[in-house]
Amino acid sequence: MYNILALLFKYIFIIIIYLFIFSIIRLIYLDISGMKYQSLDDKAYLKLINRKDSLPFKIEEYYIIDKELTFGRHGDNDIVVKDPYVSKKHFKIVEDEDEYYLEDLGSSNGTYLNGDKIYDIVKLNDGDIIKAGQIEFLFVNRK
Amino acid sequence: MKRLLSQSPRNLLFLFQVLGITLLLINKGRATDRLTLGIVAGLILVIYLSNYILTKISKGDNYIFLITTMLASIGIIMIYRINEGLGIKQLVWISMGIILFFFTYFIVKKIRIWEKLSYIYLIGAYFLFLITFIFGDKRHGAINWVNIGNFSFQPSEIIKVLLIFILSSYYSNKERWKEFNKYSSYYLMGIVYSFIALLFLQRDLGTAMLFYIIFAAIQFIYEDDRKLIFINIALIVVFGILGYLLFDHVKIRFQAWINPWRYIERQGYQITQSLFAIAEGGFFGKGLGLGHPDFIPVVYTDFIFSAICEEMGIFTGIGIIMLFMIFVYRGFKIAIAQRNEFYRILALGISILFGAQSFIILGGVIKMIPLTGLTLPFISYGGSSILSSFTALGILQVCSEEIKSKEELDEAGD
Repeated sequence: MYNILALLFKYIFIIIIYLFIFSIIRLIYLDISGMKYQSLDDKAYLKLINRKDSLPFKIEEYYIIDKELTFGRHGDNDIVVKDPYVSKKHFKIVEDEDEYYLEDLGSSNGTYLNGDKIYDIVKLNDGDIIKAGQIEFLFVNRK
Repeated sequence: MKRLLSQSPRNLLFLFQVLGITLLLINKGRATDRLTLGIVAGLILVIYLSNYILTKISKGDNYIFLITTMLASIGIIMIYRINEGLGIKQLVWISMGIILFFFTYFIVKKIRIWEKLSYIYLIGAYFLFLITFIFGDKRHGAINWVNIGNFSFQPSEIIKVLLIFILSSYYSNKERWKEFNKYSSYYLMGIVYSFIALLFLQRDLGTAMLFYIIFAAIQFIYEDDRKLIFINIALIVVFGILGYLLFDHVKIRFQAWINPWRYIERQGYQITQSLFAIAEGGFFGKGLGLGHPDFIPVVYTDFIFSAICEEMGIFTGIGIIMLFMIFVYRGFKIAIAQRNEFYRILALGISILFGAQSFIILGGVIKMIPLTGLTLPFISYGGSSILSSFTALGILQVCSEEIKSKEELDEAGD
């Protein structure tokens, strides 16, 4: 009696172990494929110019601009960076009829476009460099 | 039933444990006492809950603990089948291991001065070697056990975790150390070689090999002075040949590996019995309780893998190897994602530790490399081994989370 049970169970054990391995691999696969690999063609986006590992805080390499994008140290912004030279609400980029505009939100250290401090809303062109604190972004718009 | 089988690994693990225990209880026949049943039920519950709670309290990796508890369950079922008394002890060790895992997790997470304690790790390691030589007890040809009262443990299990801490604290601050002394990495190499020499004197060849692999791998990744890596490789070749020529116990291991059949009565006995057991099992095994794993000497520690292959089949054996591979893969991924240099090297070291340790002993029992006594992490019987493995796992769990620097913590405070 026991022998039959043992014979049956050995197959069940192997099946369970492999299902277990399979389910873990599947979860890991979902984890990896969940990462952002969106295509950047025909989209406007900001590209980080600094080397990512030279900045002592968390930041992404690319930020896609969708209608509006805010940047600052506070958690409500679309881009949150823990750079001490960045204000709580630093700047924002707004889209209007396929054109993109940059606006400083009263930051203490200012926002620079191609090296000049901005005071008013300015239009962004492809290849412009936006600087805030230690961070430099390249604006890309290839529509 | 269908919901239980639906792809959640936590439920599959639960099902596996329940079925395994049921089968074992039927196998042992007579009524098992209530205490054992209580411990078994308790542990199954603890493992299930731990896996659940961990996803809530830790933002890091959820898979490493799941994989290790699966390995531990396979181990317990096998050990309990070979020897009931040891099986119950192993249940207690695993429960303590899980407690230690959570304890380590919180301690390492809360205290933030680990990278500055290089000298303390160093002194601790030498101190442990010293007590091994004073209180050391000879078992299975190696002097690596310390008995204090009724309690005995293997100091080398603690030293290997300390070694990873030493290497991490050195390489994460290597600029400062190099400024302090130009030849500091030579000194580090000297220290690691002194560890290896001491282990060699204790005849603990497996652990010596493990230490060398961890050191060589981390040095290969982080050492700027590339010349040193070649020196390291050249030295180990020289010492390996010298060791073979000068020490009989190295020679015996090597000969037993080249041709165990010639020495089947003595040196080759273990390895041939292990090969017989694996061959006997075939693809699906003999069935739990129907084989003869007790023919192999020290089956519940070093040769647990052969016993598993005999009774649960080569497929389970391959499954175990795959579980270790996924585990090491997760470990490397944790190391790559970690931004803090110290914790990154720590994660790397621990992944290499588990990968290398399982490779050395699995390779040994299937006669792929010379056999050296080491435990299979999480599966083999043994208090020291289980506790140190779960401690290392706790550290790896911390490494899998985002470690905030001090400035960031202050920022979050206001």
